[in-house]
Amino acid sequence: MNKDKALEELFLAQKPHFDDKADFMAALTRRLDAVEVVRQHQEAVIRRYKMAMVVAFVVGVVSGAITMAFVLSMPSDMPLFTVQVQSGILLWLAENSRVISATILALLMSFGTMSIISNVQDILHLRKNHLKPHVPNYRFH
Amino acid sequence: MTREAFITLVEREQEALRGFLLALCCGNKSDADDLAQDSLVKAYLSSAGYQEKGRFRSWMFKIAYNTFLNHKASCRTMDTLDEARQLISSQSAESCFEHQSLYLALRTLPPKERSAITLFYLNGYNIKEIATITDTSEDAVKKQLSRGRDKLKARLEL
Repeated sequence: MNKDKALEELFLAQKPHFDDKADFMAALTRRLDAVEVVRQHQEAVIRRYKMAMVVAFVVGVVSGAITMAFVLSMPSDMPLFTVQVQSGILLWLAENSRVISATILALLMSFGTMSIISNVQDILHLRKNHLKPHVPNYRFH
Repeated sequence: MTREAFITLVEREQEALRGFLLALCCGNKSDADDLAQDSLVKAYLSSAGYQEKGRFRSWMFKIAYNTFLNHKASCRTMDTLDEARQLISSQSAESCFEHQSLYLALRTLPPKERSAITLFYLNGYNIKEIATITDTSEDAVKKQLSRGRDKLKARLEL
């Protein structure tokens, strides 16, 4: 598409010139300073939160392991708990209490381990990309 | 990109960016400078993802263009009233600003046509580059340019 000469000349003639470049840069520098302060504060808050999550999960997994060790160390010919009510499902639960407890603990520990890994990955990712606004990834050909 | 490198590039390109936004804001300097500052903060925050290929200006223009469109979308209701008020006041003030007629004519264009026209005539980008900056097809840019040019010429009586 060809340029319209008259329009082009009009646009070139109106090309603005700015006398306040230094003021503009000073204002921008102040904004960038403020952004840095906010970014560092948010990073610190999120890192603390994530670390607290990791500690909580570690404590959960450790206590789960201790409980599981306790469950498995109990005599295998005795149920862990007994119920007085003569109900089919409750009797079945009482008979299989060792297996059921071990399975539930194993599931909880797996969930805990996965959460720890996920949180550690989030922390590592946070260092690179935190506070990145939604700006499309722009590559020129 | 380091902060120092970013500031050096901005110092070099700020005039082009501010000129572009000034045209998009139809001569409203305070709005244009606010948008320029917002765009540059966004650019700074995403500068880690910037691919260094000597195209900093175009990358910055894309961010500025999106910031401008978001700004227009967020204050559309107020904008109509504001534009009407400014149009009346600027017509009565009769050329108290240097490039009144061009800005008044630009004001009548929709934001996308205004952007395409500004990038083409003021900043000297070609159609392919404008399509990349505005995230549209080249055909769409051609249509915007053609419509925008006709409207501007009719308005400016060129």
